Amino acid sequence: MRRPAVYPLSFFVPFLVFVFLHLPAARGAEAGGYREALQESARRLGLADDRYWDILLHYKPGLLGRRKSLVDDPRFFLSPKGKSDPHAELAATIDGLFDDERDERLAPRCRFPARFAWLEDRLSFDASRLPPVSCPDLESKLSQIDARSAFLIFASGHMNAPASMFGHTLLRFDSTYESPLLAYAVNYAATVDPRDGGFAYAFKGIFGFYPGYYSILPYFDKVKEYRNMDQRDMWEYRLHFTEAEVRRIILHVMELQDIYSDYYFFKENCSYNLLFLLEAGSPEASLTDRFSVWTIPADTLKAAIDAGLAAEPVYRPSRARRIRHIAALLDERGTALARAVLDGNAVPEDVLSAEIPGVEQARVLELASEVVQHRYAKRRLSQEAFQRQFLGILSARSRIAGAGEEVVPPVPVPARPETGHDSSRAAAGGGIRDDRWFLELAFRPAYHDLLDADDGYTPGSQIDFLSGALRYYPEAERLRLQRLDLVRIFSLAERDAFFRPISWKVSTGFETKTFASGDDRLAYVLSPGGGFAWKRPLPGLVFVMVETALGVSGAYDADYAAAVGASAGILKQVTRSWKALLTARGVAGVAGDKDRGTELRVSLEQGFRIGRRSAIFLEAARTEYPNRDFGFTEAKVSWNIYF
Amino acid sequence: MKKALLVLGLLVLSATVASAQVVGQTKRNVGCGLGTMIFGEHAETTLFQVFAATTNGTFGNQTFGITFGTLECERPARFVTNERLQEFVHANLDDLAQDIASGRGETVETLAELLSVSPEKRVSFYRNLQTHFAEIFPSADVEYAHVVDTIVRLSAQG
Repeated sequence: MRRPAVYPLSFFVPFLVFVFLHLPAARGAEAGGYREALQESARRLGLADDRYWDILLHYKPGLLGRRKSLVDDPRFFLSPKGKSDPHAELAATIDGLFDDERDERLAPRCRFPARFAWLEDRLSFDASRLPPVSCPDLESKLSQIDARSAFLIFASGHMNAPASMFGHTLLRFDSTYESPLLAYAVNYAATVDPRDGGFAYAFKGIFGFYPGYYSILPYFDKVKEYRNMDQRDMWEYRLHFTEAEVRRIILHVMELQDIYSDYYFFKENCSYNLLFLLEAGSPEASLTDRFSVWTIPADTLKAAIDAGLAAEPVYRPSRARRIRHIAALLDERGTALARAVLDGNAVPEDVLSAEIPGVEQARVLELASEVVQHRYAKRRLSQEAFQRQFLGILSARSRIAGAGEEVVPPVPVPARPETGHDSSRAAAGGGIRDDRWFLELAFRPAYHDLLDADDGYTPGSQIDFLSGALRYYPEAERLRLQRLDLVRIFSLAERDAFFRPISWKVSTGFETKTFASGDDRLAYVLSPGGGFAWKRPLPGLVFVMVETALGVSGAYDADYAAAVGASAGILKQVTRSWKALLTARGVAGVAGDKDRGTELRVSLEQGFRIGRRSAIFLEAARTEYPNRDFGFTEAKVSWNIYF
Repeated sequence: MKKALLVLGLLVLSATVASAQVVGQTKRNVGCGLGTMIFGEHAETTLFQVFAATTNGTFGNQTFGITFGTLECERPARFVTNERLQEFVHANLDDLAQDIASGRGETVETLAELLSVSPEKRVSFYRNLQTHFAEIFPSADVEYAHVVDTIVRLSAQG
């Protein structure tokens, strides 16, 4: 936080002199009358109940229907009751027009420029009847940003951290410069305490114990930040705002400077809070009201597009994506040469003398320069080693004249984030278990799993929250909770010549376990695992993992069963709308109820996408409990709707 | 009992997979040459990323600063009035080196705009930068001031 400069007293002296010389004695009385007149017109126009007032103050109806601001910083309000009283806040704001405070940091009209611009528009007040005001710091910031147009930026998820699969959104304000790198970004984020560990971090993040702040920073800082994270592509959507609307947004950003709102991970998060800015530009677009329980960044993007605010994006690939793209242009020999340079088995000049065409040499060196930056960003290189390698590679590259798209054509644009399925899914289906039929209803609030179509999502990743299923066996007239996941995460990250990620999974929640033939019980299960994945043209994404499992239930001997084992599988995108997942998993009990903990399972699951809104899933599985000499076969079909 | 188990499970889960320290947007600023303005990665492969990612946490204070981060380094010797140019070169030294070496890219385009190189002269401007790479970046710990000076001189040659 840049502290406002502390001006020496002498700085104010000219102002004070000015005030004393120009303040007519009668002014106070006259101002009092005008103030009343403006208050009266505001009441007549019903401004305190105007939608724009709600937007600027972030008012939302509370539990009892009374409006309350989502902003928590008391400095955001001019009235002490402002957070929960829109009328009092409006009255105090109109009083603020008559405030003759000279210190810019305190003067209401400098602190809340969007509110006053709106009031000026609605009340058409006569500025000459108000105390003069000047806001040089505000003006200099506005002219430095010089916002002419606005963009909504979506940073997509990070492959091997499905957590960040939700992505992130920010705004970009372009000036008269053509280069987007010279634009400014507006970002909303929680300010966290670096001393907090994992659990405290999660708890505070979810329950609003961190303050969230808006920030303005050069856009190139954001570009660098996301490019250095694997697979975090950026999508830049031009927003259809006029210059006047853009100005309204940026004025609102200015009044949110150094103002905090409690950050809630699931709803009042980065993306939700940006929606207020969009609404400040376009009040008729109702965006914040579309989100009531959780706010997923990609959904806010979809909302902005639905409202007609955004169209055609520009795609900015991540470094990881670029590395794979260049590597795919090279043959085995080319990538081997790049690896030799990176591993110190060759010097960059060797590439120049290699017997391959100049354009290939340029590709090898460009590949190496991207990888060396990637390794440095991952802290696998010291700064000295990085500098030496990077400079050597670049100086060799600069000696090859080729520069156009013939060296590296643009990275192919993947499916846009808004083209993906919606994140909630409901399913109805039925199946057969050995010889008993059943019906099943399932619901998943969010977000994406391995069988869902990958368009707009990270392939090979799954993150589901609170996904559950109810099952009914007509024969036994028995309805039961089949499963309720708290969270289920799966990350299959392919390994190749330049990337060596770990694939991992973790799931926890209630699952149905079979304790004896026909004896189903709900157990609480936690099962983390980790391993490797590789992509092969024919089979698809192949993976192997070490598996662990802990089951807790009163029906286990000793109330629990702990097991370890392994799994292997293949995830194959057969056609554009057909995915198949073949998995084999075996775990052996090592503690607690060892017999019941030992389990073998083979399954084939398939997903057929039908348009963007629905899909059919087919599943077949065989489960064996070898230590208890029984097993069962199950087949299921379900119709899935995304919404 | 189930509720207690659920809480226990959550605790075990967060304790086992969430032990790593998250790195927000930590800017490693380690001098003035290449590789000084790189942004760190978020810590990877922890469940805790679930929370790190959407909170997009930043440590300490926010930048509401349209500040120039160039103060700790030597400033250009030449009289360069273009504050944006200095800020840009300083903050994008690595990308700039890469784009100059390959004779194309967004950072050299930005450079051309900041130096008001007319559109028809840009291709030869990029080519000129590329052939003078070794002059612009004579060593790895080159100061951005030297880079700015050399680029301004080369752009003046047309």
